[in-house]
Amino acid sequence: MAHLLALFFPPSVLRPAELATDAGILLGGAAIVAWLTWRRRWAWLWREWITTVDHKKIGIMYLLFAIVGLMRGGVDALMIRTQLAMPNNTFLGAEHYNEVFTTHGTTMVFFMAMPFIFALFNIAIPLMIGARDVAFPKLNAISFWLFAFAFLLFNMSFLVGGSPNAGWTAYAPLTELHFNPGVGENYYLIALQITGIGTIATGVNFLVTILRLRAKGMTLMKMPLFAWSALITSSLVIFAFPALTIALALTMLDRLFGSTFFTIAHGGMPMMYVNLFWIWGHPEVYILVVPAFGIFSEVVATFSRKRLFGYTAMVGSLIAISLLSYGVWVHHFFTMGAGAAVNAFFGISTMLIAIPTGVKVFNWILTMWGGRIRMTVAMLWQLAFIPTFVIGGATGVMLAVVPGDYQFHNSYFLIAHFHNVLIGGVVFGLFSGLYYWWPKMFGWMLNERQGKWAFWFFLIGFWVTFFPQYLLGLKGMTRRIYVYPPGLGWSTLNLVSTIGAFAMGAGFIILVYSILYSWRHRQPDLTGDPWDGRTLEWSLPSPAPEYNFAVLPRADARDAWWEMKRSGSCGKVSAVAVGPIEMPRRSAVPFLLGLSFFVAGFGAVFSFWTIALFGMAGVIALLLSGWFDEHDHHEIPAEEIRRSQAALGRFES
Amino acid sequence: METSTPKAHEIEQGEVVEISALAPRFEEHAFPWRQIAGYAASLLLTLGALLLVERRLLPAAWLAPVILALAAVQAGLQLGLFMHLRESLGATWHVLTLALAIVVALGIVILSIWIMAFKSGVS
Repeated sequence: MAHLLALFFPPSVLRPAELATDAGILLGGAAIVAWLTWRRRWAWLWREWITTVDHKKIGIMYLLFAIVGLMRGGVDALMIRTQLAMPNNTFLGAEHYNEVFTTHGTTMVFFMAMPFIFALFNIAIPLMIGARDVAFPKLNAISFWLFAFAFLLFNMSFLVGGSPNAGWTAYAPLTELHFNPGVGENYYLIALQITGIGTIATGVNFLVTILRLRAKGMTLMKMPLFAWSALITSSLVIFAFPALTIALALTMLDRLFGSTFFTIAHGGMPMMYVNLFWIWGHPEVYILVVPAFGIFSEVVATFSRKRLFGYTAMVGSLIAISLLSYGVWVHHFFTMGAGAAVNAFFGISTMLIAIPTGVKVFNWILTMWGGRIRMTVAMLWQLAFIPTFVIGGATGVMLAVVPGDYQFHNSYFLIAHFHNVLIGGVVFGLFSGLYYWWPKMFGWMLNERQGKWAFWFFLIGFWVTFFPQYLLGLKGMTRRIYVYPPGLGWSTLNLVSTIGAFAMGAGFIILVYSILYSWRHRQPDLTGDPWDGRTLEWSLPSPAPEYNFAVLPRADARDAWWEMKRSGSCGKVSAVAVGPIEMPRRSAVPFLLGLSFFVAGFGAVFSFWTIALFGMAGVIALLLSGWFDEHDHHEIPAEEIRRSQAALGRFES
Repeated sequence: METSTPKAHEIEQGEVVEISALAPRFEEHAFPWRQIAGYAASLLLTLGALLLVERRLLPAAWLAPVILALAAVQAGLQLGLFMHLRESLGATWHVLTLALAIVVALGIVILSIWIMAFKSGVS
């Protein structure tokens, strides 16, 4: 018993910050349970959300988790910046600091950006290509629940057992059992493995959805660019994630079963971990940024009231970026010293990526050229993105110059660069997409004025945070140091950077407040097309009915909905054309599968093998039950569809 | 081997399959003996590789080529048995995706060997 207590609650989870979080989670959890019970919402929660296989609802759940992830990762970031605000600060100790920067990076990549992207894929892609759902709706729900339970497992670490502390990259030998006892790294390895299964399944799902379920007439070259970006992202996921799976699995074998893949003392090769990690890791940054490119391509065309400039070049550059992204990974570890030939090869391939990316930037600018631009919040994020991302890209090319990289490597210059592209590219894009598709998700608009406040706080905060970090890097400050002495010329810049970080935090709080405010003072979107949009999702009511399209649309032109509006056939359907629709039936299997993986994962983290086997038995039983389930579809009768369409005012008069 | 064309109720209403190679095809067997045999063979091949390394059954120079060959056999086995490679009529898509997969896989292996030869340069 005492042994178990010591295992579950080592000193690192009994610090005041952790205990306060424990209390907050217990209170918040109790409040949610009380509310659900008081309002009798348990059955509703189970029926409408937990067992749903509807891509629109799954998208909303991804979004909810992504915002929670953004909060957690953001709090970690503020803790890091608070510690670094002044020289010789004692806010966080060395060990605590290691844990916080590890969970900051891991959360932001795997539990904020990835679910945010999948949220927008789920919400927009099937509607955009004229489909009734994704190709494998149940698998889609399984992907979500694997992610959600992995999120839970990973975030449990700092409350029970201890946080991972080897950085978000978890390099060997920092993760080897000998140097890193405790369960923290096990949480990292197993939670990422579980969410990775879900991610690969999502990649397969959207690849098949886009190749197979497009509306009649929508050839690949007539697809909206966001659908192209989802197709490219899916193929990147399928090819890149297996390398991460292997890297994590080998590290897990080393830690849990005594193998020595990465242990130098027994002939292992820690740099092989670094190599495998970045074979996944570099395509991963394109997995994150390519969807943002897609979002911007939709937003810029809609709010400039012009069709996208250079569509073919946009598609070509996306494909070029995706292929090049597999051949650049060594630029993350030039300083390993692989030799001049290797480093030159990967330096040049890295610089090549700037070419297709530059093509895209010019096309976005030329789309705006001569257009009638509306300054909505979604468009503001787009406008902020272009200069921010260009500067981030330019510093990236500086890092690709190998001799330069030997100076910049692992300094704050690098930190500033990748935040410049990951926030300036990915986060700006996700916020733009959030504002753009929000009415389609919920049927009401987000408050634009508050959205602009959030935008300016976040944008200015961003530059105040990260520009000083370039200078800090050039002054020699390296990443992952938790304390520095005065007199190095770092103190003022660090303080400025911290002030900027809190401004970004304020921007986030305004955003969340604005969501709640807009929900209380609902401004409904009755037309389904609040932005005068161009693609098929805007032909539907907001939010779209379960079956999406009463009659599947034809898309004979790019910007199909825009063309329909021009030719005067405005989204009304003829009542005669409506037939019964077969839709997937809700299922408890995805949720239970996630739960089983959680149990198995928890068992493996603590090496409680009975529990782990119990969880895996659940996984196998649920998979079997899913395979032999013949009743996974139900039919919505034509009469019901006619009734709901009539209520929405969607019939031709 | 029986190959049945998709039945009417199995295709969603209104759905049009533009690329015939991607039309759903179902291979029906009384019991998937073939797959189970393939699974067992895969396990045996893996076990073989493990034993070769653990028991040092081969001279060091032979070891890497032999286990790589075992891996290639297993990859072929799994592609054929589990990845529906033999079931489709449309070769174009398969050739395209397989070619891409082979390029990426070989690229990763060959470049990794090249990169990891760095030890000779620094030690």
